[in-house]
Amino acid sequence: MQRTGVVLDRVGVVYTTNDGGSLEAVRDVSGVVADGRFVSLIGPSGCGKSTLLDVVGGLLRPARGGVVINGEQVSGPRRDTAMVFQEDSTLHWRTVVGNVAFGLEIAGVGRREREARARDVIKLVGLAGFEDRHPRELSGGMKQRVAIARALLLDPRIMLMDEPFGALDQQTRMFIGRELLRVWEETRKSVLFVTHDIQEAVYLSDEVWVMSARPSVIKSKIAVDLDRPRAPGTMGSRRFHELTSEVWELLRVESEKALDASGELRTTP
Amino acid sequence: MNRTSSGGGTLLLRPPLVRAALVLAVVAVLEAAARGGLVEPLVMPPPSVMFARLVEIVRSGPFVTDLVVTGATVATAFGLGGLVGLMIGILFWRFPFSGAVFEPYLVSMYSMPTIVFYPILLAVFGLGTKPIMIIASTMALIPVALNTMVALRAIPPTLPKLARSLNCTRLQTYRKVLAPAAVPMVVPGLVLGFIYAVIGTIAMEFILASRGLGYRTGFFYRSFEIADMYAYILVISIVAIIVNVGLNYFERRIRRDMQ
Repeated sequence: MQRTGVVLDRVGVVYTTNDGGSLEAVRDVSGVVADGRFVSLIGPSGCGKSTLLDVVGGLLRPARGGVVINGEQVSGPRRDTAMVFQEDSTLHWRTVVGNVAFGLEIAGVGRREREARARDVIKLVGLAGFEDRHPRELSGGMKQRVAIARALLLDPRIMLMDEPFGALDQQTRMFIGRELLRVWEETRKSVLFVTHDIQEAVYLSDEVWVMSARPSVIKSKIAVDLDRPRAPGTMGSRRFHELTSEVWELLRVESEKALDASGELRTTP
Repeated sequence: MNRTSSGGGTLLLRPPLVRAALVLAVVAVLEAAARGGLVEPLVMPPPSVMFARLVEIVRSGPFVTDLVVTGATVATAFGLGGLVGLMIGILFWRFPFSGAVFEPYLVSMYSMPTIVFYPILLAVFGLGTKPIMIIASTMALIPVALNTMVALRAIPPTLPKLARSLNCTRLQTYRKVLAPAAVPMVVPGLVLGFIYAVIGTIAMEFILASRGLGYRTGFFYRSFEIADMYAYILVISIVAIIVNVGLNYFERRIRRDMQ
C-alpha cells in the first residue's frame, strides 16, 4: 500500500437512526489524495461528503474499511490533519490572534512562540491589521480566514475543509477561493475539500471526486488539467467549461435521485 | 430649530437628570402631603423625619448587626444556590434524559411561591437561619440552573467538534471552549439568582427571624414605630439598588468581553 498521502480504503459508514434502524451513508469509497494535491469532493446534498471528511479527520469511526495517512491507520484526530468547518468556528471571546493560536495552545506551545507564529499566518491569509479584533468585528469571509489560519498554523500534512465557503455570498466566495489558492501555492498542503459548488470544485482542484446519492459511492474521479497557478481568466476558458459540464452531467442524475428521495421534486408532474 | 444638538437647553433633558428630578419631586409631594395632614402620620411620616431617623439608625449598633446578618445570609444562600444551580444545569445538559425527567419540576418550582412552605420548614428545622437559608438558596438555584442548561444547549455543535478535532482533553474542552461560550447566558441567571436570594432572605426574616434587616422592619411595624420602619425600608431599597447597579455593570462588562 502507498506510504505517503491519504489513502481511503473501501470506507463504509452506517448510522443508527433514532427509531433503531440503520442508514447506510457511505459505501465502499476508495481513493488516494497524494501529497500536495488538492482534491474536491462534490455530490448531491445529504450524500455523506461531510461524513466522509469526518472519517478522514478521525472524528467518526467507519463501519467498514479505513483510512491510512502516511502509512498509519487513522484511529482518532491526528496532529497532521487539520479541519475547517462550514459554520463559524471562531471563539467569540478571543481575538484573531487568540483564535488562530488556539490549536497550538492546545498542543502545548508557549504563548510567545504561538502568538508570533500566529501573526505570520494571519498576514498570509490577508488579515494583517485585524490581529487584535474580536470575531464580532469581522465579516463571515474573514471569520473563515481565521479558521483557515488556525488550521494552517498547525502545519498539517492535510487540510480537511468541509464546505468552508458554503455560508458566504457568491462574490466573497470566488474572491476567497482565489485567496485560498494563493495560500495553497505557498504552502502546498494536501487538501480534501468538500463543496456542492461545481465551479468552485473545478477552479480549485487537481482532482474532483463526484459522489452519488445515498448510499454514496464515488461515481467518477475527474482530473482537472488546467494550468497552475490558475489565472483569473481560467473560469472563462473553454476547458473550464468542458470540465464543469462534465461534472454537472454526472451530478445531475444523482441530484435528481437525491431530491426525488427527499420529496423535493414530487410537485412536478 | 434643531433642539437635539448639544445646546445649553438639552443638558437639562438628559434622562438621568430627569430621573433624579422626578425622585425629588415625589419626595417633595410626599413631604407636603404628610405635613399638610393629607396622610396619617401612622401610615407615613414626612420623608424628612424618615431621613433623620435613617441617619441615627445607621449609626447605631443593632443596625450594623442586622446588616451583617442579612448580608451573610444572602451571600451564603446565593453561594449555595448558585453552586448547586450550576451543577444541576450542567447535569441536565450533559445527561439529556435527566433533563427531560426533572426539568418540568424545576420550571414549576420557578412559578411557585416557595415561601408558602415556611411552616413546614419551621416545623422540621425550628426557628433559626436554616429555614431561611433553605428557602433563599432554593429560590436562587432555579434561575441559575435553567439559564446554565439553556446556555450550554445553545452552544453551536461546531465548537465541541473543533475541540475534538484539535485533540482537546475533556478539561480543556470545558475550560477553554464550553465554559466561556456559555458565560454570556449564565451570568444573567446568576444575577437573577442573587436578586431571588435577597427577596427570599428578607421575606423569611420578616416572619421567622430574631435578627436581620427584614426582621427589624417587621419589628418596627408591629411596634408602631413607623418612621423607623420606613428608615429600614429605605436602607433595604438603597442597598438593593446599589447591588443591582453593580451586578448590571458586571453583566454588561462580561457580555462585552465575551461576545
